[in-house]
Amino acid sequence: MPINDIAKELTLLLLIAVISAFTVNFFSSNGIALIGEWDTAQGVITAKAKNTVVNHELEIQEKRIVKNIYDRKEAIFVDARTHEDYKDGHIKGSISLPINQFEGRIGKFKIDYPTATYIITYCSGRECDDSHELAQLLFEEGYTTISVFVDGYPAWEWEGYPVESVKH
Amino acid sequence: MYSSIQKLIKNSWIELAVRWFLGVTFISVSYHKIIEPAHFAKIIYGYYLFPDFSINLIAIVLPFLEFFTGLALILGIYPRSAILSILCMLSAFIIAISINLLRGMEFDCGCFSFGEAGYTYSAWQLLIRDIFYFVLGFHVLFFDQYRRLCLRQSGSFLKNISCQN
Repeated sequence: MPINDIAKELTLLLLIAVISAFTVNFFSSNGIALIGEWDTAQGVITAKAKNTVVNHELEIQEKRIVKNIYDRKEAIFVDARTHEDYKDGHIKGSISLPINQFEGRIGKFKIDYPTATYIITYCSGRECDDSHELAQLLFEEGYTTISVFVDGYPAWEWEGYPVESVKH
Repeated sequence: MYSSIQKLIKNSWIELAVRWFLGVTFISVSYHKIIEPAHFAKIIYGYYLFPDFSINLIAIVLPFLEFFTGLALILGIYPRSAILSILCMLSAFIIAISINLLRGMEFDCGCFSFGEAGYTYSAWQLLIRDIFYFVLGFHVLFFDQYRRLCLRQSGSFLKNISCQN
């Protein structure tokens, strides 16, 4: 078996791939950091792409704090998940604004809620960054006070906090 | 029966077809991963098998390894080493998918980006597909005849073949 020749060929292929990979990643607008943030204890996970939507400063980690805001009606809750997921169950009183239907729904949303409204976005938990993407889209629409509830609907439901669903 | 199977295995046109099929396949599967490395990193995370520090590095390098080994197969540049790399990658994929199937886990972050990026295969589909590619890859790896349309004819896994395009 020509091990030496195969080793040389493999090294060459690997070198070309590795050099190209890091070069393209460095210059690409979709490039990611060499090390991402994959610890859910720190918040929503992210590969830390150059165009990442995840901003940890917006995150509220404590469910109890979110519940207090909810009880005092200080913010409106906006659900970033699909409308089907929303219909299956959502935080009671929250508004559905799926990010893939944002363009079609934001007009009515802006009429109903002025840009000074305090908004808390949420989705499916710390492995889901749709809540962050929705927050960024809302910032672009002029909303100024937005937080992200990182644990999302599953944790809210698990805690036994108020939920509701839409009958199919 | 046995001799006709042997004839098929030694047929250089079949080797070329398999090599090009695998080459095109690996280039095409690398496309989404190269364009959206963040999505691919999340897929890797979803296997819950890799240490945090390695996830981005895998997401950056692996698609380019797939791309260049696929290209090498199509152009016939060191095909035995290209297919050896592909078999190593397929082995890793098969092991990772199998472990998750045994654990009864299938990653679903509930995110829009996953569906849009085309990551909609089930683990079983992926496993069967990868095993199929793996079997095809062995044919290319151990093919010990003269390979058609090769820029760098190096031989099979077991013996060298002198360059005579």
